[in-house]
Amino acid sequence: MTRRWLPLFAFGAGLCLATPVLPAAEGPAVSIVIDPQAPPLEQFAARELAGLLESLYKAQATLGPQLPTQPEPTFVIGSPATNRALAAVATTWPKLSDQGHLLRSVRLGDREVLAVGGGSPVATLWAAYEVGHQLGARYLLHGDVFPAEPSPLTTANFDLIFEPTLRLRTWRTVNDFPIGPESWGLAEQKQMLRQLAKLKYNRILVSIYPWQPFLHFEFKGVAKQTSLLWFGKTYRVDGDIAGRGVFKGAKVFENPDFAGLTDYQARREAGERLVGGILDTAHELGMTTGLLLSPLEFPREFAPNLPGAEAVHQLASLTIGPGAQQRPGDETLQQLAKAQLRGALDAYPQLDALYLTLPEFPGWSTHAPEAWDRLATRSKLSPKPRLEELVQAARQRTVTVSGDRGEAALRGNVAALDFLQTLLADPALLRSSRGHTVQPVLVSVDPALFPLLPQLVPGGAGTLAFLDYTARKSAAQRELLRTLPASQLDSSLILTLADDNVGVLPQSSVPALHEQLGELRAGGFAGFSTRYWMPGDLDYSAYYLSRAAFDAEVTPATALSGLVTPLCGAGAVDRLKLVFASIEEATALIEQHDLGFAFPVASILRKHYEGGDSVPEWWGQVGQLYLRGMNEAYRANQRSTLEGRTLTLYLARRLDFAFNYMNCVEALRKAGIAKRAGDAETHAAQLQTAVEALHDALNAQAAVARSNSDRGVIAVLNQYAYRPLKQELEALDQE
Amino acid sequence: MLFEPTWASSPARHRPNRPSWFSQFLPGLAVTLALLPLNRGKAEEWPQFRGPNASGVSSSTTPLPTEFSFENKVLWRAQVGDGVACPIVSRGRVFVTAFVGGKTFVVSAHGAADGKLLWRREFDAGKLPRITPPNSHASSTPATDGERVFCYFSTLGMLALNAESGADLWKTPLPQPAYLMDWGAASSPIVYDGQVIFCQDDDLAPRLVSLDARTGEQNWQTARPDMLAGYAVPVICEAEGQVDIVISGSGKLKGYNPTNGSERWTCNTLLRTMMTSPVVKDGVVYISCQSYGDEKRTLKFALLEWLDTDQDGELTLEETPAEFRPRFGTSDRDGNGRLQEAELDTAFQSPDNMVGGGATIQAVRGGGQGDITATHLLWNLKNTSPSNMVSPLVVGRQLFIVKRGGISSSFDIEKGDTLWKMSRIGNLGDYYSSPVAGDGKIYVTGENGFITVLAQGPKLEVLAKNDMGEPCVATPAIADGRLYIRTREQIFCVGDR
Repeated sequence: MTRRWLPLFAFGAGLCLATPVLPAAEGPAVSIVIDPQAPPLEQFAARELAGLLESLYKAQATLGPQLPTQPEPTFVIGSPATNRALAAVATTWPKLSDQGHLLRSVRLGDREVLAVGGGSPVATLWAAYEVGHQLGARYLLHGDVFPAEPSPLTTANFDLIFEPTLRLRTWRTVNDFPIGPESWGLAEQKQMLRQLAKLKYNRILVSIYPWQPFLHFEFKGVAKQTSLLWFGKTYRVDGDIAGRGVFKGAKVFENPDFAGLTDYQARREAGERLVGGILDTAHELGMTTGLLLSPLEFPREFAPNLPGAEAVHQLASLTIGPGAQQRPGDETLQQLAKAQLRGALDAYPQLDALYLTLPEFPGWSTHAPEAWDRLATRSKLSPKPRLEELVQAARQRTVTVSGDRGEAALRGNVAALDFLQTLLADPALLRSSRGHTVQPVLVSVDPALFPLLPQLVPGGAGTLAFLDYTARKSAAQRELLRTLPASQLDSSLILTLADDNVGVLPQSSVPALHEQLGELRAGGFAGFSTRYWMPGDLDYSAYYLSRAAFDAEVTPATALSGLVTPLCGAGAVDRLKLVFASIEEATALIEQHDLGFAFPVASILRKHYEGGDSVPEWWGQVGQLYLRGMNEAYRANQRSTLEGRTLTLYLARRLDFAFNYMNCVEALRKAGIAKRAGDAETHAAQLQTAVEALHDALNAQAAVARSNSDRGVIAVLNQYAYRPLKQELEALDQE
Repeated sequence: MLFEPTWASSPARHRPNRPSWFSQFLPGLAVTLALLPLNRGKAEEWPQFRGPNASGVSSSTTPLPTEFSFENKVLWRAQVGDGVACPIVSRGRVFVTAFVGGKTFVVSAHGAADGKLLWRREFDAGKLPRITPPNSHASSTPATDGERVFCYFSTLGMLALNAESGADLWKTPLPQPAYLMDWGAASSPIVYDGQVIFCQDDDLAPRLVSLDARTGEQNWQTARPDMLAGYAVPVICEAEGQVDIVISGSGKLKGYNPTNGSERWTCNTLLRTMMTSPVVKDGVVYISCQSYGDEKRTLKFALLEWLDTDQDGELTLEETPAEFRPRFGTSDRDGNGRLQEAELDTAFQSPDNMVGGGATIQAVRGGGQGDITATHLLWNLKNTSPSNMVSPLVVGRQLFIVKRGGISSSFDIEKGDTLWKMSRIGNLGDYYSSPVAGDGKIYVTGENGFITVLAQGPKLEVLAKNDMGEPCVATPAIADGRLYIRTREQIFCVGDR
């Protein structure tokens, strides 16, 4: 290029830079009218709606305060109180609760527009998401899916009002185990939170344990030093393992936010960033937040501060709890507990609620009689039930925790409640540095105490009840639930979507959730809180709860159709109905025969190898159910549109995993029997079959792995089963 | 004529004693040695799927590594994006394809010596069809004549790029294939005599196409209406004084005249679904395959099992994939809108080619005219040892196959006598990559990313098991003592020097 051409070139380049680069106008133009003074969440709602319309129709949305001059689909965000463009319909605007929201076609001037509004900013955000839902978008837990052929883009003939039948829709996260959200980094947590907001969940509950790196405290010169995830277990994923592709060459499976961090301080900071990020993101999406912890468990380094404390033996002995030496009113114990709670509130001043769980395995029961006397007196129970009567109720009930374990739970609960009543009497304890008081919520109070909860629970506190480990077992205990006078206090129920005892296998129990939701509505409960570990199987459950919480007429069948049909097209829903029926039947069989069948710990498969003298018949039934479900899922996948296959193929491969898992278990049992009988040939052959089946199972899981829970299953089973079994097999081959 | 060293001519370092084999094939060794000087000083070509004539056998005498890994003996590596197509090597360049970001096809060229990126091209994939993993939208292995690289993508057709610069030369759209079971496209082109030959056996309009390598214009096209979906790569077979393009497809191995695409012969001994490619040695075509189900299970079984989504034993128009609805009426002979028992027998397939499933390993003498079934089938083994995905390897005097679970078998190519059968190579899992050979070794790549190295010879001997760090579906390329290994995300060049 010669010098004299340079200015012309520069001019041309400048022109290019000055010209706005417009996206290709493939879709229709739409207008989204938002008041400049609207609350931030409503501004966000407008942007979210623009994004949804672009994804659905490639629509080019113009956001502004005025109605458009051109005739084009127009969405008006907010309410007459927050958007001046809606002033003309103020007199006909319905009265909405702070969670109520609507989609209503209204006439503004000479044109019909769609009002997208709610009784609060977050309700308006839900209304925006509802527009997407009505037009065919489906919000799965891992991301949005848009139908190939959405409903026609129209703003006409809408008159939908949504009011919650259950006002508190809580989603729990973090928790424990590599197969659960304890393995998710903040990026994955945020992605889930965005989906939950679209599904109108309105509280995030972060469940943490004392050994984890999520809160720090010091007491009498001792600083917390424990910062473990996954009970301190490490999961190698290098070398010759099955499903290795999902680990992208990593040597160890990790929560990405803790990758390579070994130092306590660094892990603590990472942990606080993670939980703080979850809480902040939840707030940004209009949700409230809670933190769940056990106020009576402490990392073991605090043992010297609490003479006589007892080690808490769960999967690992990482914590201590009060022993017989500590009475519920023990001053040191109270101060230690306060230090831990203050540590939580100092780290997370944005919290709205602090959930205090009563120990799952309490050993602190010797003080129950005196504690009961104090509790009854303080709570003004009249007539005062005898402790023995409560103990009998706890022993004789039919939930999993009954008999001796039920009695221990009840006695421990009485002591713990006495302790908490004293602890929470301090008005400054739950004061956040941001000036608000954090609501306490008591979790897992023994069902024998349900009728007395309005008196036993400190004023202003809520409760979160737990009946049993699985949804089906809980639903069977509806009589117990009816003893809780929920309308007299802020009460919710833990709804188990998938249980860690059934573990790594696919689970579904929407009909049981449906039964429980009916009970919650009838009993005047505020709502529910989910319990699960692996989210991949739970789109149906999450969707059902989302829709049923606003519409009591929603059934498991209508929810499945509502979820599937827009995504997969007609025809797939009938197959998926069979898929979920198979999973539900298999889950029920496992619950019935061996609740801890696939609990994700070291003995997960070893116990089937080392114990047992026969192959239970129900194993074969479960395997066949998974096989039937897998085939139906593949049929649904075949019938489904490309877009819907994110749902159908995942299910097919998960059931492929489950079917092979059952094959592995059966072969392992046979191998173990042969080994003990000295039948080397059968032992080797069955072990080979087991290892291959497990390999196939993990490869199937890997083929659709999309969350760190999915990867966690693969890591756990490689660590505890595939690697050691393969080594044993190779040793046999050498022999 | 294509030659490669017999296993006896290039001893592996850990090869077992094999006096009987060595003496038996001494004449072959002599011929091979006599030809070796011809290769000296010239870079080895691996210009298409599985190298020269899809044989999977390297002609180089340069030693190949036995023990290596993703961090050992890696001469270079490059992050190229997700892919399952095989790398090819020509004139010191390595070509790979990838599918990235869910919407972009990538073709790139690296220097074979140092891995330097020579060029990289991106193509918008457009609206993608449904496929079944682990298939990828970029699963077709390119081919090259040294000057041009020919790449096939189902939504774009055949592209020719300048091998040196990556510049566009021509683009020939081809009808987008359709698969009743949504497997997706995976056929690969070859180059022969100035032609780009491409067999697109799908369930809708299977065909064999020849394009002019210089212009992309169609030389000829031959319909293969009696075929179902399949992925066999065409091979060239010289026998009985003629050169044929040989393709294995549903039920039939066929030979075509390369000059006009006319069908010369057919050997009707195959199975319903042919995903493996045949190999040719000394005018004999070797095939190994497995098609799900038994001999009676024709397409009808799959239609009722998977497409009949309400499981009422009939197929409606609504249950039929959209691409096949125009053909529904042809099968619905009574016009009642449902394909029922008798109609399902022949639905979507040729009524005179109703083969079922099973497993087979065959040797068919090439050449001939017309139906050669009775005259050219040399031997036929029906056992469960073949894979449905992994092509056989013929090297020296042995045919080697491997299947899921790392179960290997080997047969003498003369009469099909068993050398070993259904023996484990010590690496579990799926196998999609086909074995390759060179320097007296057989390289067997598992989907889990481990490459097991076996000694070429009549007894199974595992020399090494090498970890490439990530899953691998593609078949490695070999050139001049180096292995080019395409894992899901990367390409590795492995060698001793």
